Amino acid sequence: MNLVTSTFSNAFINITRNKLINFLSLGIIAFTLLIFGLFNYITFSIDKMTQDFSRSIKAIFYFHEGVSQGDIDQLISRAKENLLVKNVIYSSKSQAEIDFSRQFPELKYILSEFNESPFPASIEIEFKPEYTLDTKIISFIEEIEKTNIVESKQVNVDWARKMIAFKKFISVVGMFLSLILIFVSVFIIFNVIKLNIFYRKDEIHVLRLVGATDWYIKFPFIIEGGILGFCGSILAGGLLFGILKLFPAYAAYMYEIVKGMIDFENIPLHIFLQLIGLGTLIGLFSSYVSSRQYLKN
Amino acid sequence: MIEFYHVYKHYIGDQYALNDVTLSIQKGEFIFLTGASGAGKTTLLKLIFKEESPTKGQILVDSTNISLTPPKELYKLRRTIGIVFQDFRLLQNRTIFENIAIPLVVRGEKKSVIEKQVLNVLAMVGLTHRRNYIPMHISGGEQQRVAIARAIVGNPKILIADEPTGNLDTELSIEIIKTFERINANGITVIIATHNTYMMDLFPKRILKLEKGILISDTTPAARAS
Repeated sequence: MNLVTSTFSNAFINITRNKLINFLSLGIIAFTLLIFGLFNYITFSIDKMTQDFSRSIKAIFYFHEGVSQGDIDQLISRAKENLLVKNVIYSSKSQAEIDFSRQFPELKYILSEFNESPFPASIEIEFKPEYTLDTKIISFIEEIEKTNIVESKQVNVDWARKMIAFKKFISVVGMFLSLILIFVSVFIIFNVIKLNIFYRKDEIHVLRLVGATDWYIKFPFIIEGGILGFCGSILAGGLLFGILKLFPAYAAYMYEIVKGMIDFENIPLHIFLQLIGLGTLIGLFSSYVSSRQYLKN
Repeated sequence: MIEFYHVYKHYIGDQYALNDVTLSIQKGEFIFLTGASGAGKTTLLKLIFKEESPTKGQILVDSTNISLTPPKELYKLRRTIGIVFQDFRLLQNRTIFENIAIPLVVRGEKKSVIEKQVLNVLAMVGLTHRRNYIPMHISGGEQQRVAIARAIVGNPKILIADEPTGNLDTELSIEIIKTFERINANGITVIIATHNTYMMDLFPKRILKLEKGILISDTTPAARAS
C-alpha cells in the first residue's frame, strides 16, 4: 500500500514539478490525438454511410411494352433462385401509375391525358449486402439486361463500389497519418519523461544505491507518462466533441457539403473511449521505454 | 564478509585504478582505507556495492560472488550495505526524516515501522530535533550525520563511507568517527575511505593502504600497537 501510494504521489509530484514542460507536452499530445480522433471519426462516418448504402443495393429493370405476364413471371422466379438476390418486387404498369400518383400528387392530372398507364412494368431486385463487392452482381445484371423483355435498367451498384473504394482509400490514408501521429506522441512523451528523469538523476542514483528495485524507480515515471497520455486524450476528446458540435453552427455552407458524409448529431462514445485508451497506452508505453533505457545505462 | 581475489579495474588509458588487489575483511571489522587522491579508494568502495564492475578478478560479499549478480538482483546486495558519501547526497526537496526513511520506503515497509526506525537512528545521531528541517537548513556536520543515519536505518551488514570527514573540522570529525564506532559495536562491518592521518592515529583500527591502485600495506591494530 505504501509503495502504491508513494508511486502515485511521486508521479503527481513530478508532473507539478516540471509544470511548463508537462503543460506544453500535454498540449502537443492533445493536438496530435485530436487530429487522430478527427480522422478516425471521418473514417468511421464514411464507413457507416457506405455500410448503410451497400445494405440497399438495388437494380430496377423496365420491361418492353406488350411483354407477356408469363415471361415476366419466368424472369422473376429465375431472379429469386439466384443466391445473390435478397428480394424481388414486381411493379405492374398500373401499380407504377398508382405509385407515381402517390409520390407526386400535384402531377396526377397529367395521367388523365392517357388512356392507360404510361409507365412500363418493372421488377426491383434487391441484392444481399454481403455480395456488394461481388463481381457476380454485375454479370447477373448484364445477364438479365440481355433478355429480350428488358428495355432498360437503373442500378446503384457502381456508386456503392465507388463509395467502398473511397472508404478504403480514406482508411489507408487515416492509418498512415495515425501511425505518424502516434509516433509523434510517443516521441514527445518519451523525451518529456527523459527530461524528468534527467532532472531527478541524483535522486534516482540515491534510490538505486539504497536498494530500490528498477520497477520502484521506473513506476512513477510510467504512471507519469500514463497520466500525460490520459489527460492529453481527454483534452483531445473534449476538443473533438467541441469541433463536431460547433462546426455545423459556424460553417453553415461547408456543413451542407459534409453533413451527408459525417453525422454531427450522434457522436458515438466508442470514438472517445478509443482515443482515451490509445492516449493512455501511448503514455505508458513511451514512458516505460524511456525509463527502461535510462536505467539500463 | 568481503573478499577480493586479484581484482583489477581499468578505465580508459594505461593506468589501472586497481591493480591485482587481494584482500579479506571479516564480519564486524572496522577498516580505514587510505591512500593519496587517485589511489583507487573510491573505486574499491564502488566495487563492493557494484556501482562499478571489476575488469578482472572476483569479489565476494557475504559469501556471494557479486560479479555474477545480474543487474536486476543488485538491489538485494545494496540493501545489505549502507553508503555514506562525502557530499552527503541528501535530497533537498525532502525533510531530514524523509531522507532517512528512503531505504525503508523503497522496501515497502509499513509507516509505523518506518517511523519507529527513523526516530531510533535520529536519536542515535542526535538529530531528533531536526527531523522536520530540510537539508540546506542544517550544518555540514549535521548533514553528514543525516547521511550516516540514512545509511544505517535499514540495518545493513556493511557500512561504507567515502571521506566522511573530508568537509568537517577536527572536532566534528572525531564525533563522526565515534558515531561509526558505536555503529561498529553493533556488529556492522565499517569501511571508511580517508586520508585523514590524524583520525587514523586517534582511532587504532586496521588500515588498508592503496597506492596507484596497488594495495601496498595492510596494518592490523595489533601491528600498529607494536
